[in-house]
Amino acid sequence: MRLALYVTCLVDLMRPSIGFASLRLLEAAGCEVIVPEGQTCCGQPAWSAGNRSAAIDLARKAIAELEDYDYVVIPSGSCTDQLRNVYPLLFADDPAWGPRARALAERCFELTAFLADVLHFSAPPGEFAGQVTYHDSCKGLRALGIKQQPRQLLLQVRGLSLQEMPDCEECCGFGGAFSVKFGEVSTQIVDRKCASIASVGAAAVVGGDLGCLMNIEGRLRRRGDETTRVLHIAEVLAGGSEN
Amino acid sequence: MAGAKHSQAMFFQARAGAKVRDKVLQQALQKAKPLFVGKRAKGIAALAEDGLEFEALRLASEEIRNRVLRDLDVWLDIFEERARASGAEVLWARDGDEICDLVIDVARRHGVTKATKSKSMLSEEAHLNEALAAAGIRPVETDLGEYIVQLAGETPSHIIAPAVHKTIGEVEALFAKEHGRPVEARSSVDIPAMAREARGVLRQHFLSAEMGITGANFLIAESGTAALVTNEGNGRMVTTLPKVHVVITGIEKIVPTLQDFATLMRLLPRSATGQTISNYVSLLTGTKQPGDSDGPEKTVFILVDNGRAALLGSPYQDMLRCIRCGACMNHCPVYFSLGGHAYGWVYPGPMGSVLTPLYTGIENALDLPHASTGCNQCGVVCPVRIPLPELMRRLREEQNERGLRPWSERLALKAWAWVAGRPALYRWVARRAARYLDWLAEGSGRIRIFGLAPAWTAGRDLPVASGRTFHELYAARKRV
Ligand code: SF4
Repeated sequence: MRLALYVTCLVDLMRPSIGFASLRLLEAAGCEVIVPEGQTCCGQPAWSAGNRSAAIDLARKAIAELEDYDYVVIPSGSCTDQLRNVYPLLFADDPAWGPRARALAERCFELTAFLADVLHFSAPPGEFAGQVTYHDSCKGLRALGIKQQPRQLLLQVRGLSLQEMPDCEECCGFGGAFSVKFGEVSTQIVDRKCASIASVGAAAVVGGDLGCLMNIEGRLRRRGDETTRVLHIAEVLAGGSEN
Repeated sequence: MAGAKHSQAMFFQARAGAKVRDKVLQQALQKAKPLFVGKRAKGIAALAEDGLEFEALRLASEEIRNRVLRDLDVWLDIFEERARASGAEVLWARDGDEICDLVIDVARRHGVTKATKSKSMLSEEAHLNEALAAAGIRPVETDLGEYIVQLAGETPSHIIAPAVHKTIGEVEALFAKEHGRPVEARSSVDIPAMAREARGVLRQHFLSAEMGITGANFLIAESGTAALVTNEGNGRMVTTLPKVHVVITGIEKIVPTLQDFATLMRLLPRSATGQTISNYVSLLTGTKQPGDSDGPEKTVFILVDNGRAALLGSPYQDMLRCIRCGACMNHCPVYFSLGGHAYGWVYPGPMGSVLTPLYTGIENALDLPHASTGCNQCGVVCPVRIPLPELMRRLREEQNERGLRPWSERLALKAWAWVAGRPALYRWVARRAARYLDWLAEGSGRIRIFGLAPAWTAGRDLPVASGRTFHELYAARKRV
C-alpha cells in the first residue's frame, strides 16, 4: 500500500512537528508513507474566499500529484473536506477532471478516520500522563462525521484519560479569514471555548486541526494560561518528538 | 427597493466591535443561547416518541418547499383563486413602498385610525410602521417582544424573539416609564407579572383597533388559507376582533396542501422554540360568514415579491425554502456574540447574512457573507436543509466576480494561489516566512503583535514553531 501524506500549509509553516508525528504514526501502523514533493496548498483559502478559478487551478495540481497513490492521508479535517467534498464539486460538469477528482476524493482521509476506519489501528505508540479534553473541529465533525475516531484512538494511549468539556462541538471562532477579518468577534467566541477548557482542568486540549489549535492556544496564553498544553492529536498518538 | 433604507448593513464590521464590548447585551445573549439550543434539542429528540425521524422529516420538508419553488406561479394562481372564492381580496406588491401604499389605501377605505399588529417580517422590510404613522394611523405591536421593541424605538433583533437582546432590567425600566409607575426590582420570576401588565395595556388596543395586520407562517394553496403560528394568543385577537384583517406575506410562503402544512408543522415549532406544537395555530380562510361568532368582515392578502422572484432559478434559490424558524441564528456563534442589530437589516444571523445582500443588493452588505466561521451549525439544524455556509461562499464568489472586494484582498489571494502553483517558489517563500515569524517571536515561541493580522493578535498570541518548515526539515532528514 503506497500512501501519500499531505502536509497542510499551516503544518508546514507553523508546526512541522505535526507532520513528523503523522509520519511516525502511519509508519507505526505499518504503512509505506511518501511525502509527495510538489505538494503545496489545497486551495481551500481561495475557495472559501470566493476565488473559484484559483481554487480550480490548485485542485488540478493536487489531483495530478496525488492520484497515483492508494490513499492520501491529511492531518486536518478542513483540508480533507476540500479534497473529499469540494474537488468533486469544482469539476462536477468536467468530463476530463470530474472522474479524476471523484476517484481521488474517495481515497482521501483525515488522519484519525484513516487510522480507525480504514486500518482499524488500535496501538498508538504515544504515552501521555494525565487528562486531556478533545475539541471537535467544525469541518471534521460536520463535513466528515469525525467524532468517535479520535476518541477511540486517544483512549488507547497509555496513561491518558479523556475528560469531555462542555460544548466540545462548539466552534472555536477561528474560521480562517474570519478570525483575521473579525478579530474581536472571533476573540469573543474563542473565549467561550477557553472557559469550557478551563472548566474541566485537563492537562491538555487536543484537536485535529492546527488552525483551531493555534487560535485556542493563542487565546489561552493571552488570558494568562501558560500551563494547559494544546496538542494536535497526531502529536499525542505518535509519542516521541524526533523530527 | 430603496437602497438608502437598507445601507445599515454596510456597517456590520464597525458595529460588531461595539456589540462585543456591550456588557449588558452580552449578558442578555449569554442567558438566551443555552435555552434556545437546549429546547430545540429536546424538541427534536421528542420526535422519536411519535415514531418520527428528524432526517426523514427534514428531507420531506425540503421536498415540499422545493416542489412549491419549481412551479411557484402555478401555486400562487391556485392560492389566489381559492382565496378569492372564499371571500378574501388578493393584492400584489412588488416592494416595500407598494406594501405601504396598499395597506394605507385599505385603511383609508375602511376609516381605520388604529391597527393592531402581530409579527410580520414583511412589514419590517417595508418600514410599514413609519408609513402608517405618517398617514395618521397608529400601529400597535402586540407580540410581547415586539411591543417591548416598539416602546424602545428599536427594531427586532431576532425573528422569533425580537427583544432577546434586552435584559429584564431594561424592560422593567421601559414598562415603568410607559405604564406610568415607579421602577421595581425584577427578576425572571416576575416575567409572568410583567407580561400580564403589558396584556392589560394591549387589551384596550385590541378592542379599539379597526384593523389587524399580521404575517403568515404559510399560505395554503388548496384552500386559500393563511396559517398563523403563535404562542401568546394575541394573534387571534388581531385576526378576529378588528373588522379588517390584512395578511402580508412573501410570495414564497406558499405550500400546496394542508397535508404539507402538517408535515412542516412537525419541524417549525420544534426548530424555533422546541415545542411539539405552538400554543395557538390559526388557519384563517376568507371572511366572517353568517352564523360565525367572530372573524373579520374584510380579509386582504398582500403577496409580496421584494426581491424574491429574482432568486428563482438563481444559485440562491435554496434560500427561498426558509420557513423563518430562527434555528440557524440560535446555533450561530457569531449571532450570539453580537445580537441581531449588528446585521443591520430585518433578518439577522446566517439566514440574514444570505438574505440581506440578496434583497438589498450585494454591494450594500459586503461584510455579511463573510460574517461566518463556516462552522455549519446553521446548516445542520436548518429544518429545510438550506446550505447556508455554501450560499455565503457563493455570495463571496459573486463579490469577487463583480470586483466588490478590496483590491488588497484580491491581490493577496491571487498571489498566494500563484505561488502555490509553483512548488519550488512556494518552498522558498515558506522558508523565508518561517524565518521571519521566528525572528518576530524572538525565541519566545509566540508573536504578540503581528502587523499582517493585527485583529488576530489584538486578542491572542500567534504561536509559532522553530523557524524551519516541514518540507525543509523533511528534505534534510532524507539526505542524512
Ligand atoms: S434558514 Fe433554515 S434555520 Fe434559518 S430561519 Fe430559515 S428555515 Fe430556519
